[in-house]
Amino acid sequence: MAVRAQFENNNEIGVFSKLTNSYCLVAIGGSENFYSVFESELGDVVPVIHTSIAGTRIIGRLTAGNRRGLLVPNSTTDQELQHIRNSLPDSVAIQRIEERLSALGNVIACNDYVALVHPDLDRETEEIIADVLGVEVFRQTIADNVLVGSYCAISNQGGLVHPRTSVQDQDELSSLLQIPLVAGTVNRGSDVVGAGLVVNDWSAFAGMDTTSTELSVIESIFKIHDANPSAIVGDMRDSLIDNYS
Amino acid sequence: MSSIYNFKKIAPVPEAGDFLDIVLSKTQRKTPTVVHPGYKITRIRQFYMRKVKFTQDSFDEKLRQILDEFPVLDNVHPFYADLMNVLYDKDHYKLALGQINTARHLIDAVAKDYVRLLKFGDSLYRCKQLKRAALGRMATVMKRQKDSLSYLEQVRQHLARLPSIDPNTRTLLVCGFPNVGKSSFMNKVTRADVDVQPYAFTTKSLFVGHMDYKYLRWQVIDTPGILDHSLEERNTIEMQSITALAHLRAAVLFFADLSEQCGYSVREQMSLFESIRPLFANKPTLLVVSKTDVCTLDDVSAEDRALVDAVVRDGVEVAQLSSFLDRGVIETRNLACEKLLQQRVEMKLKGAQLGGVLNKLNVAQPARRDEVARPAHIPEAVAKRRRYDAHDPQRMVLERDLEVEGGGAGVYSVDLKKKYQLASDEWRYDTIPEIMDGKNVADFVDPDIEERLAELEREEEKLAAEGLYDSPDDEEDDEDRRIRALARRIRERKQIIAQEARINNSSRATLTHKQKAIAGASPATAAPEAMAEHLRKLGLDDDAAAATASRIARKRQRSESRAPAVELARRSASLAPRALSVRRDRSTMGFKDAHQKAESDKSRARALRRIAHLGRRGEADRSIQSKMPKHLFTGKRSNGTNDRR
Repeated sequence: MAVRAQFENNNEIGVFSKLTNSYCLVAIGGSENFYSVFESELGDVVPVIHTSIAGTRIIGRLTAGNRRGLLVPNSTTDQELQHIRNSLPDSVAIQRIEERLSALGNVIACNDYVALVHPDLDRETEEIIADVLGVEVFRQTIADNVLVGSYCAISNQGGLVHPRTSVQDQDELSSLLQIPLVAGTVNRGSDVVGAGLVVNDWSAFAGMDTTSTELSVIESIFKIHDANPSAIVGDMRDSLIDNYS
Repeated sequence: MSSIYNFKKIAPVPEAGDFLDIVLSKTQRKTPTVVHPGYKITRIRQFYMRKVKFTQDSFDEKLRQILDEFPVLDNVHPFYADLMNVLYDKDHYKLALGQINTARHLIDAVAKDYVRLLKFGDSLYRCKQLKRAALGRMATVMKRQKDSLSYLEQVRQHLARLPSIDPNTRTLLVCGFPNVGKSSFMNKVTRADVDVQPYAFTTKSLFVGHMDYKYLRWQVIDTPGILDHSLEERNTIEMQSITALAHLRAAVLFFADLSEQCGYSVREQMSLFESIRPLFANKPTLLVVSKTDVCTLDDVSAEDRALVDAVVRDGVEVAQLSSFLDRGVIETRNLACEKLLQQRVEMKLKGAQLGGVLNKLNVAQPARRDEVARPAHIPEAVAKRRRYDAHDPQRMVLERDLEVEGGGAGVYSVDLKKKYQLASDEWRYDTIPEIMDGKNVADFVDPDIEERLAELEREEEKLAAEGLYDSPDDEEDDEDRRIRALARRIRERKQIIAQEARINNSSRATLTHKQKAIAGASPATAAPEAMAEHLRKLGLDDDAAAATASRIARKRQRSESRAPAVELARRSASLAPRALSVRRDRSTMGFKDAHQKAESDKSRARALRRIAHLGRRGEADRSIQSKMPKHLFTGKRSNGTNDRR
């Protein structure tokens, strides 16, 4: 089930949380409302962890990770790193990365098998990504945006990319990632898909502004609750045309 | 994007009288109020010109605001333009706004004239009269707008209560004769709570409700009933329906009551359908047979059936429903929505803007590039877990529940360590230092730390076994023991001295250097025997003490300088009288005799008298404490008077 959530009146929940198949990081906010949205959906399956990165709450944009590992930027403090280490299961490797582009969540988009990265990322970082996360790494752009992490949201089941991605680019990216892709928006027409949406293989969380059309596209493409991507072409086609043009 | 018409933000229009009060009191508050005939005439003129101009500006601003905020009929969607024409009469509306605009120009002209006249005002009185005349004429102009203003206020209040209908979005339009079940249907499909009563014209204006269908938001518009007569005969209530039918691109649901409970025959209803059929052109239209609990399409007489069949052509479909039994309502709604959606999609597919949508409809399927399987990773617990339900008493306790128990947001402090996954749960709340011995502990954290420690320990043992740390045995001999004992005694004695000194210092008044010198209590100047005794007490043995004391006493007299205290002590006898100062009476100093002093005192008192009178500190004090003493300047002073109170 895709769930709508809000972090302290902000709809860009991908900025304040990081969701993977083996853990979920949530920013420490003024109240526990946001945390509990995740807790109620994932609570007994994967650990949901309060944390800050470098003292900030924008943890979703600063970190990148999948089932096997978590990459944090150099600015992460020793205490935060220790806290995350203690909270995560031992199967998840944690690595602090020396990288000029320190908003790792913005420059890396990954699922458990493939990662798309910013074209200017360090070669060393690329190797670390491949080692720690156990993924194939491709330098890519999405709709001519270098911030691949901001403009797409992917899981092992499917992916949502920037609304202006051409059909050609979609096919190319889809072949690289080996998952079905669709272009779309979140939060009532926002194109920063990565910031408005966090997904893993069985759950999705989108900003409170997300319309029901957008939410149903999300459910279909990420196969949440046995939904099927083919619905986008069939069932929802008319709604989408009427909604978007 | 859909255009939103919102007329709720128009500022209230005050009545003419209030309008004047607002503007004039604003002028009074925001312009200077004090002027004197003694001022330069340019200043007086400027003072009154400012008042006139300010008043004009305020009028101008307020009137312009009205003109800007009210919708211009030519610029709004034709639906709203027509609706406003029906409700408020276009001519009247335009005239009112036009008059407001004229009033604005008139006021501007009055102000311009009087400012020009004020330039020739030659006294305060004349200037003041000109200002009065100017403001008076502006007020007259405004008072004449009484009717326009009150009309506009009524229009504003009505506009603000209009439903916010979006003319461009997906819309279902419910229409038909009065009392055929339009509002009942509306209440069934949306959450709008429209009044339903068993008499005609219960609904007197347009109502809007919203519903969801196929992930989209739809608006449903309930219209007042319409009767079958010519357009000219229609009243305002019916005209609202006609306006909606004419201008909104919507699916039309024409409700017909075949049971004739509504009081209109089937013939009349079908005749109405035919007469407003032109309004249904290019709109998906449904003939909805309502109240099927009383009478369905099959129950009617043959001739009525023929009438109904006659209108069902040109894409008109028939649907039957009963709001009372909740039968056919959703089917009818879905049918209407589906038809409208189909039409809209077809239209959009023909349009040019489709390019942006194509990629959102295209699900890119991956071409296989290798034989690696990339399955989804969904833990088994996902399938087993119960869905969270906030009303389930056995639901899991969330952090939020704990927060509420713990005093709410801002008070509750979340336990971050609660869910640590460590080898032993006992370690969870262990305090770990961040900095130790000036070093960051985290810098030394190493996954192999245990191994390395073990290795180091092994090495150490080996070295120890080899005898690296064996040192030549150093036993204490007698000499060492004696020195140690002596040192201990010295230390103890020193502590005692320090304590005694502390006690003495606190209980004794401090002496000056001179006094100390006179007292001559320094141990350095004591006799050699006393010194030897002192040294002995400190712990030296007898011989050493005696030797040291005699060495000090043997000091040569001249070649070595001595401490000043010692020197002073030596001369203390001669210094003694001077060490204490004596106060002498200086008042008599310098006078020959008492008489001379008396003379001098008298003349001094004379000189001081004036200074004392002025409250000065001395003859050099020329300060002025307050340039404007408050008591001389407070209160109103009428023109020309300057009397001190």
